[in-house]
Amino acid sequence: MIELNRRHFLKGAGVSGASCALASILPGSLAALEKQPLKGVSSEVASICEMCSTRCPIKARIVDGKNVFITGNKEAKSFGGKVCARGGAGHSLLYDPQRIVNPLKRVGERGAGEWIEISWADAYKEIATKMNQIKQQYGAETIAFSSKSGSLSGHIFHLAEAFGSPNTFTHASTCPGSYVVAAKAIFGTKMKRDLSNSKYIINFGHNLYEGINMSETRGMMQAQMDKGAKLVVFEPRFSIVADKADEWHAIRPGTDVSVALALCHVLIYDNLYDRDFIEKFVVGFDEFAAEVEQYTPEWAETISDVSASAIRRIAHEYASHAPHAVVDFGHRATFTPEEFDMRRALYAANILIGNIERKGGLYMGKKAPGYNKFAGENIAPVLAKPGVEGMPKSSAIRIDQVEKQYAMMWSSGGIYQTILDATLEAKPYQLKAWVMSRTNPMQTLTDRAKVEQTLKALDLVVSCDLYISETAAYADYILPESTYLERDEEIQDKSGKNPAYYVRQRVVETIGNTRPSWQIFKELGQSLGLDKFYPWENMQTLQLMQLNRDHSLLENIKKMGYVSYGKPLMLREPEMVAAFVKAFPNARSVDEDGCYATAMKFKTPSGKIELTSQKIEDMAPGRGVIKHRNVQLKQADEFYFIQGKVAVHTNGATHNVPMLANLMSNNAVWIHPVTAGRLNIHSGDAIQLISSVGSEEGTALVTPGIRQDTVFAYMGFGSKNKELVRATGKGIHCGNLLPNVIAPICGMNLHTTGVKLVKI
Amino acid sequence: MNKRYVMVHDENKCIGCQACNIACRSENNVPEGVTRLQVRVEGPFGEAPHLHFKYNRVSCQQCENAPCVSVCPTGAAYIDENGLVSIHNDKCVGCQYCVAACPYKVRFINPITKAADKCNFCKDTRLARGEQPACVTACPTDALYFGDANDSQSEVALLLNTKITYQEKTHLGTKPRVYRIPTKRGGIES
Repeated sequence: MIELNRRHFLKGAGVSGASCALASILPGSLAALEKQPLKGVSSEVASICEMCSTRCPIKARIVDGKNVFITGNKEAKSFGGKVCARGGAGHSLLYDPQRIVNPLKRVGERGAGEWIEISWADAYKEIATKMNQIKQQYGAETIAFSSKSGSLSGHIFHLAEAFGSPNTFTHASTCPGSYVVAAKAIFGTKMKRDLSNSKYIINFGHNLYEGINMSETRGMMQAQMDKGAKLVVFEPRFSIVADKADEWHAIRPGTDVSVALALCHVLIYDNLYDRDFIEKFVVGFDEFAAEVEQYTPEWAETISDVSASAIRRIAHEYASHAPHAVVDFGHRATFTPEEFDMRRALYAANILIGNIERKGGLYMGKKAPGYNKFAGENIAPVLAKPGVEGMPKSSAIRIDQVEKQYAMMWSSGGIYQTILDATLEAKPYQLKAWVMSRTNPMQTLTDRAKVEQTLKALDLVVSCDLYISETAAYADYILPESTYLERDEEIQDKSGKNPAYYVRQRVVETIGNTRPSWQIFKELGQSLGLDKFYPWENMQTLQLMQLNRDHSLLENIKKMGYVSYGKPLMLREPEMVAAFVKAFPNARSVDEDGCYATAMKFKTPSGKIELTSQKIEDMAPGRGVIKHRNVQLKQADEFYFIQGKVAVHTNGATHNVPMLANLMSNNAVWIHPVTAGRLNIHSGDAIQLISSVGSEEGTALVTPGIRQDTVFAYMGFGSKNKELVRATGKGIHCGNLLPNVIAPICGMNLHTTGVKLVKI
Repeated sequence: MNKRYVMVHDENKCIGCQACNIACRSENNVPEGVTRLQVRVEGPFGEAPHLHFKYNRVSCQQCENAPCVSVCPTGAAYIDENGLVSIHNDKCVGCQYCVAACPYKVRFINPITKAADKCNFCKDTRLARGEQPACVTACPTDALYFGDANDSQSEVALLLNTKITYQEKTHLGTKPRVYRIPTKRGGIES
């Protein structure tokens, strides 16, 4: 008995410290799960992750009706059945007691954080009444609709169209837009990277080891570590990808374009380029060659601080691995206002070595219709596109359509930032309302103060979200969406080198009074009197419509989660074409050299790859040819301020998810030891960053992993609204320091600026 | 002993992304405030531009000669038939001798069970179901390998035979069973 007593006494005493930590666990959260044994029977549901925008195929394990473990789906081979920290923490979001699970209506001042619960029916009714009032008084186009791009944007944009507003926006102009627009200008379509087969990879700050895109991250690691590919990284900061590189060059922020053009210069003037490829598939080479003649490595060195000899050597090494070498065209922007030409220069460096449709280079996605044509038979089912007859066509111009130079933007979602000027300055006309879905412009747009003014100035703000996000905090109505683990969605195309489909499906019963966004925007549409544009009943009706009523196909996709068809195909890769022809007897006959090169089609005006573009010249005189322009990103007495992604958070979305907030809730500011020494700053010191638009206080991290003239912070932190309890007031809010600058042609918001650094 | 379970952590492939940490927490119901496994990205070390990070896996090292077992007054800490350093929860009195004795500082008192806790290679969760440990399953870049080193055909045996590996604090005589493949700096010349 004594032993037992002593044991209990000791146990109580021993955990006193830990008990304090335990007290912070909110009731009804994961704590409830933790009490459940995980052994025993379990089942798995295949679905699609939504903790970032990569949308990896996942499998969620369910025990006693609760989702307890998420991993990757092995059916999708390039994803390897893997999941990152964000993906693995999906259930932490699902069961987070801070999730909003009932519609809310603002009662205090906008942004004051005073809410009452409201029924769905009343919320729809009130929002619809207000929207119709605005439509009658000012026109439907005065309401802007914005959404995170992807499966979520479809339904809110359908509502916008039915309602009669052309003003729809995605986050593209704040994140991946520039590489898409640049690819459209050159190739007429998006391109994909075959990193896993590359033997030489040149990377301009595309940090795939922190901004994880599972198949590309894995592909690059396999190429590097299993196949011995060389990785060269140009980045002002010693990131994880810089650490894993064979060479890291601490390039001056915003000068990547000069190095890319100098690489092109060496490829052309040292005669390392693929003349045959250029002749057959490219237009505008001569103009480009004439332009880059001046861009020598010696010139680039003066701008970028990368040595001329290194640029020259790297260009030669790169060319020696052609065509199985790649210059990564990057992802999130925007380093420089000349973003469009920076991305075009990166594509140019690929085109010059003729790596298009070659292993380890760039290629076009092989969706079912095109693939089936090559195969001469129906290898993969073709998705039907359910449409609705009689959709109204708005006669109003989009608020971002005033300048012809942005004509390539619209299908990628437009210039998100124009909502600010349209609201505050009636440019080109007055916006009155903003309806948004799963988007957080308070974090992802620049000039936070202006975003706040905009939200306060509008007549109506509606936000569909999971949390009272930094932006939702300024809404009049918050419509709580079910998380991705509680929703069914349309079949998605996931084609790569061959066609593939997958589907997001419900993993657990819906928690609380939330609804999937397809239902929310359908029901809001019906409240607006737009019933006739919603002929479908529910998601299953839509899915079956997509699959031409093929029930067994739907069942199969749901069961497997990911279905891939045929064999990988790259049109200029002899081995792949041979394997393809062998597998499909009716396949298109091959060219003399055993490839399908002559079948390569580009959706540009010339039908070829356009290194120089007349179309762009017409849209924006002087911009048809890729060229370098001097830009000033900071004043002499300022530091460059740059940001980047971290592996455990997604931009403006995950900072309140319990497991992820516990991993990282703050972003210290990286400062070089020499800089820190000069300002008497030590790691852990409180510092202030002051820019032209705002100031932020944070913590210093003194590290040699940054240039002396540059400071760095991971983005997405420092929320300023009290609702996000775990994230608010922690760290630097990047958007509060970045001015609202729009890059030509691609419409991107600029992410490099000058800041003053002060110890406080 | 039937098996000799070991973990191999390839520090070249590790990106410090914490997917392993989250997978471990999820699978083993690790409460907030305590951790069985994390990868600490330490550094950067060296002189620019020749810097490098260290990706330090911090978790139970599954010592063959485990100090936590030697000091345990109640026999709660023990080494099982497969060499896994394990804990009888019902025998643990929470005295924290093992926490103090562990040279790798990876033991803690679980605030829910009130017993000593740490990584056990998912012995009673995934291993019991015939699966690989959660961290290995999740690792995006395949930096982790797990298996029976007594089986000469196993992947881990092959790795230990072909790669340079090291273990932490071997001078203490603990004989840890977490092996690390050290970062290999420098380029592959073309």
